[in-house]
Amino acid sequence: MATTESQLEEQEPGAPEATTDDEDVEARVGWRYTLAKVKRDATARIGFYIVAIVLVIAAFAAVDSNLSRLTFGALSDYRAAQALPFFEHPTALPESGEAQRNVPPAFVDGGTLSHPLGTDPQGRDYFTRIVYGSQVSVSVGLVATAIGLIGGTIVGAISGYYGGWVDDVLMRAVETLYAIPPLVLIIVFIVFVSDGSPDIRYAVIGVGITFIPVFARIIRSRVLSVREMDYIEAARAAGVKDRNIIRRHVIPNSFAPVLVYATLQIGVTILIVAGLSFLGYGAQPPTPDWGEMLRIAHGRYMHSNIWLSIWPGLAILVTIMGFNLFGDGLQDALDPRIKN
Amino acid sequence: MGLLKYTIYRLLQAIPVLIGISIITFVLANLAPGDPVRLMLQGQQVDEELVRAIEQRYGLDQPLHVRYWNYMTGLVQGDLGYSIHRDRPVSDLMVERAGPTLLLVVSAYVFAIVTAIPLGIIAAKRRNKPTDHVSRIVALVGVSTPSFWIGIMLIIIFAVQLGWLPSAGLVYPWQPPEAAGYDNHLQLWAATIEHLLLPMIALGTLQMATLMRVERTQMIDSLQQEYVKLARAYGVPERTILRKHAFRSAQLPIITIIGLNLSTALGGAVLIETVFAINGMGRLFIEAIQQLDYQLIMGITMVLGAIFVIGVVITDISYAYIDPRVTYGERE
Repeated sequence: MATTESQLEEQEPGAPEATTDDEDVEARVGWRYTLAKVKRDATARIGFYIVAIVLVIAAFAAVDSNLSRLTFGALSDYRAAQALPFFEHPTALPESGEAQRNVPPAFVDGGTLSHPLGTDPQGRDYFTRIVYGSQVSVSVGLVATAIGLIGGTIVGAISGYYGGWVDDVLMRAVETLYAIPPLVLIIVFIVFVSDGSPDIRYAVIGVGITFIPVFARIIRSRVLSVREMDYIEAARAAGVKDRNIIRRHVIPNSFAPVLVYATLQIGVTILIVAGLSFLGYGAQPPTPDWGEMLRIAHGRYMHSNIWLSIWPGLAILVTIMGFNLFGDGLQDALDPRIKN
Repeated sequence: MGLLKYTIYRLLQAIPVLIGISIITFVLANLAPGDPVRLMLQGQQVDEELVRAIEQRYGLDQPLHVRYWNYMTGLVQGDLGYSIHRDRPVSDLMVERAGPTLLLVVSAYVFAIVTAIPLGIIAAKRRNKPTDHVSRIVALVGVSTPSFWIGIMLIIIFAVQLGWLPSAGLVYPWQPPEAAGYDNHLQLWAATIEHLLLPMIALGTLQMATLMRVERTQMIDSLQQEYVKLARAYGVPERTILRKHAFRSAQLPIITIIGLNLSTALGGAVLIETVFAINGMGRLFIEAIQQLDYQLIMGITMVLGAIFVIGVVITDISYAYIDPRVTYGERE
């Protein structure tokens, strides 16, 4: 790694991009160089902006959801007179009598600006629910991926470092988890662990566990090469405990490709959780979750109100695309062999 | 290691994974709080004698490890258990529902391969030209869109708005045409294709996008190989180079991806069968889950896992047979 640092100094960000194939690959792995490359990469930049926007929306959903009301002249809106308008929960049902059910979006005949994306069959503002949905999706994506990442790192590091029968047993276990279709495994897990009352938390844990195998494999293959490095040998000779070698040397030096993979995996996580909610095993009503909203739309409103099906799907598509673009950009920057 | 030896080695390696799958499904199903009989009766008032009699009949009064042993000995003999809920053997139920899923998954793969490979090659050939950008956007959208939403959108466009194609159900080409209300086999097949078109696209899009990306990268890679450069220098026409030199070596990773994606495709079938109301294994699984029919759940999970494991072993072996460069079984 010492050579990487010194070469990194010579290749300051902003320096003309070197494209020769025989250039030392190691020089391209430094973090600062990577960041500089990501900044130059148009797709990664678009991805980064999309992710950033979705994250901001998710973080400030409570405020933003009322933006629809503030911006689009909302005093006529059903809850405008409420005492604390900024923290109205989107699951709250409008008071009976005032509800405007299945209002189409503002740009369609019959739509109003106070409900830019229309309302749902229960009269709730759909824009508010879509915005809140980002909170559910993003947090679910991040937490589930983190569970997979941490679990996978531990399993992969132990497996790769010790080798032998430990490796055999762990890898067979990992292959086993990998073999059952994730969606099926997660549903079985949720139903039997949740005692018949599924919940988004079980979905998150289930998805996280199913992703341990993919991360474990990547970490393990990295560890196998790191293990042979001289500094590991040195640490071992100096009497450092195995556990500390893994923690201080092996994992930090194996982590970069895994982090890239994690970025791409967030998209997959959101996709799977949306599928779970769609089948009724993820978020439960009245939680504003995109998959759950699609479940309701598919069940009864595919003919009468097509907008209910369109918006949540678009929201999922844009969010996942953001993470994928960003992850792809990171990957290209880290792996110079596949250049576009 | 020779090819035959490698084949046997790979098959043997699959055994612990299959055992692992059986353990996972068994443990998960038996984590279920309350005993299966009461679960099946779902809160109905029954007298204790009856419950005990049912338990005894299906061996549920035995300790866990004995039950697992019984389950395993059954599995080895091809007995997937007995659905108490439906009063039928699990294997019968699955055979009944396997057809539609098979039809759906195979057609989705055909759709994916037929579209992805030409598009991937064109993208690689016209790298960084507009065609390439369009194909990359298609691939990106394809991997970012939930398959069930594609299904819903297709239904809204082609069934609800345009009324061109049916939105639900499937016509099975293996049944006699009269039984389904068609005059002859031609009509039956036409109806099958009509019904299959939308779910096929919905399930196949993700596969298409993944394969297209791999195909593009592989083709770019193989077009840069020395032997391709050499062929070009000799004046071999570009089309021949593409077809004969670059194409072949680029297809090997595609085979692997197809095998590995089997798991995603089978999971996707659960969603797509729900969207299009197709009575396949996916729906059977969801029904089993809703009814907490734990024997059926275990059976389906076991079979889906086994299909994947066997699929991967087959791709690995065929890979070794096709590509002479592959060294078998050498551990890193």
